[in-house]
Amino acid sequence: MSEMTTPNAGQAPVPETPAPSRRRFRLLPADPQARRFFWWQAATPFLAILFASFIGSLIMLAIGKNPFMVYAEMFSFSFGRIDSVGTILFRATPLIFAGLASALSFRINLFNIGVEGQYLIGAVFASIVGFSLKGLPAFIHLPLVILAAMLGGVLWAWLPAYLKVKRGVHEVISTIMMNYVAFSLMHWLIADIFIDRSQVIGAGGYGSPRVRMPLIEQSARIPTMHGFFAHFGINFPSHVYVNWLLFVGIALAGVMYYVIWRTPFGYEIRAVAQNPDAAEAAGINAKRQMFRTFLLSGAIAGLVGLSDLLAYFGYLDIDFPRGRGFDGIAVALLGKNDPFGVIIGAVLFGFLSRGAEGVQVFSGVPAEVITIIQGVMILSIVVAYEIVSRYIRIQKKKEAQ
Amino acid sequence: MGVSELLASALRMSVPILLTALGAVYTERAGVVNIGLEGMMIAGTFWGAVGSFYYGPFVGVLLGMLAGMLLALIHAVASVTFKINQIVSGVAMNILAAGLTRFLCIQFFSMATTSPQVHSFKAWSIPLLDQVSFLKPVVTGVSPLIVVALLLVPVTYYVLNRTVFGLRLRSVGENPLAADTLGVNVTLTQYAGVLISGALAGLAGTYLAVEHTGMYIEGMTQGRGFIALAAMIFGNWAPVGAMWASFLFGLSESISFRVVASKIPYQFIKMIPYVVTLVVLAGVIRRATPPAADGVPYERGGE
Repeated sequence: MSEMTTPNAGQAPVPETPAPSRRRFRLLPADPQARRFFWWQAATPFLAILFASFIGSLIMLAIGKNPFMVYAEMFSFSFGRIDSVGTILFRATPLIFAGLASALSFRINLFNIGVEGQYLIGAVFASIVGFSLKGLPAFIHLPLVILAAMLGGVLWAWLPAYLKVKRGVHEVISTIMMNYVAFSLMHWLIADIFIDRSQVIGAGGYGSPRVRMPLIEQSARIPTMHGFFAHFGINFPSHVYVNWLLFVGIALAGVMYYVIWRTPFGYEIRAVAQNPDAAEAAGINAKRQMFRTFLLSGAIAGLVGLSDLLAYFGYLDIDFPRGRGFDGIAVALLGKNDPFGVIIGAVLFGFLSRGAEGVQVFSGVPAEVITIIQGVMILSIVVAYEIVSRYIRIQKKKEAQ
Repeated sequence: MGVSELLASALRMSVPILLTALGAVYTERAGVVNIGLEGMMIAGTFWGAVGSFYYGPFVGVLLGMLAGMLLALIHAVASVTFKINQIVSGVAMNILAAGLTRFLCIQFFSMATTSPQVHSFKAWSIPLLDQVSFLKPVVTGVSPLIVVALLLVPVTYYVLNRTVFGLRLRSVGENPLAADTLGVNVTLTQYAGVLISGALAGLAGTYLAVEHTGMYIEGMTQGRGFIALAAMIFGNWAPVGAMWASFLFGLSESISFRVVASKIPYQFIKMIPYVVTLVVLAGVIRRATPPAADGVPYERGGE
């Protein structure tokens, strides 16, 4: 990914045009006015997080807890222990994919609320390919499983995308309906079709088999990153499952950044998002682009469940974690639909989720308080972005006069 | 199991969808999309149960509607005053409502997912009609809230089409600039539409918890808030149409209860309401005409 931030490196400089690429990658805008606004914009997420924490503090005060102690506990639990750090990264991994999937659809003004259903179907596909193909080497099996997961996501995104483009059905309602259908379908496939009948039931035939699919072959499991981190002197204990999908997610964010800002495909996404009619007039097939982007969003969504499936459980059961799709929406909003912002948002949510466990155990604060903070954070972050961009607009107008 | 029993069950299942769909008509005719209706319904189920548990069903209805309105107020502040994306704000409402009710349920009932049994309204029998044997299952043991919901259909029709408030609401949804020029307070009117939708979604949630089930259960709305939006679209943004659409969805739910004993796996039966929603939306949408300014935040000076 480091190559793509300097696409013209190694090429001879062109004297006539004063190297636009270098200007584009300046960290701060050159113009002092733009620089001032940049700091305003950079500060917004922090203001929103502060506001959400403030609301959380009010709730903690209401149930008789000292918010400063709770937050201190949250931080020391999350960053004072190496297994917490690993867990945060592990929790962030699916959220990176979910956030990227949501962000991509938001980029073209489509609201793929169906990441939830798409990743469940993706996990079903991955699980089937993962346990049914036997004897393959990992370098063939693992990519096949990943492709299957993406295919599942695409399939589940296809109908809402088709209905949106051809029939004008609002994608929010159709994807939510698809989410419910996906869960029932997954339930049926696990319980009635692919249930693992070879499970050994407790001694004497007591107990009942788990409602799960057969175990996924070792050749389709994702290895953990422990060895990689050990090079840097970070030794995660074995009950931490931080795995290579974290790396895949970060790489995918880089690819997405490149696609959106550096390719014709991404240009069409941005043009359609700005003004579909103008894009049409400029020769872009807006509907086709929306359709493709939506399917691509579904493909990324298909990957959301893999970290849990291939690195942690090793099988698909009916208690497979849900709700990642909705967290992904929040993460995308936090990251302002920017791929690298999504990574930061995902790590923040990983921290909140790990911290919630800490405060629940050590401070007696229900983990739901943290859920409320997350909800408030989403709202305050979009409100904050809106206020700041409006402030900037007014300032620009004033200074232009 | 006869036709009249099926109709009776369909009527009872369609009430929460109908109430929320009527709410959706108010907010969307004012030009504000409210995806957060599901969350407002969830708030209604919980606060309806709380009010009913401690003080009886009337307080339950009051608290349920107030809870829906409170969330609606946040949605209105975010999407009308601050003009943030209405879908985003609605999604945030749903997440917020789910987290808040779970937290509050622990605080009130020391259980995360259910409340104890709560008091219900005394069921009614519609006089005269209950003498007709075919109608008997439909009109006996009727919750007063069912009657309220059905009465709200003509009331909503009258309010929208025959009152000054309704005219303003519709004009704001169709052309806020024109309405503003004629002295209509666009912001206030949109707030009113959103708040009414929250109150009705809260009432729908209260019906589910207090009347239908007799207790609060986490996730008991099961996406009915979204189905209600589909019903409103199917009903072409009009109260009478929304009523028929809600009845269709109610019927599909009650059929799904009745085929449980058949050979079809129950997971597929559970899908029926959602599949019906998809099919209906796919088949009907071309004829639908949403308000012209639906979902577009109004900004003076048209920036």
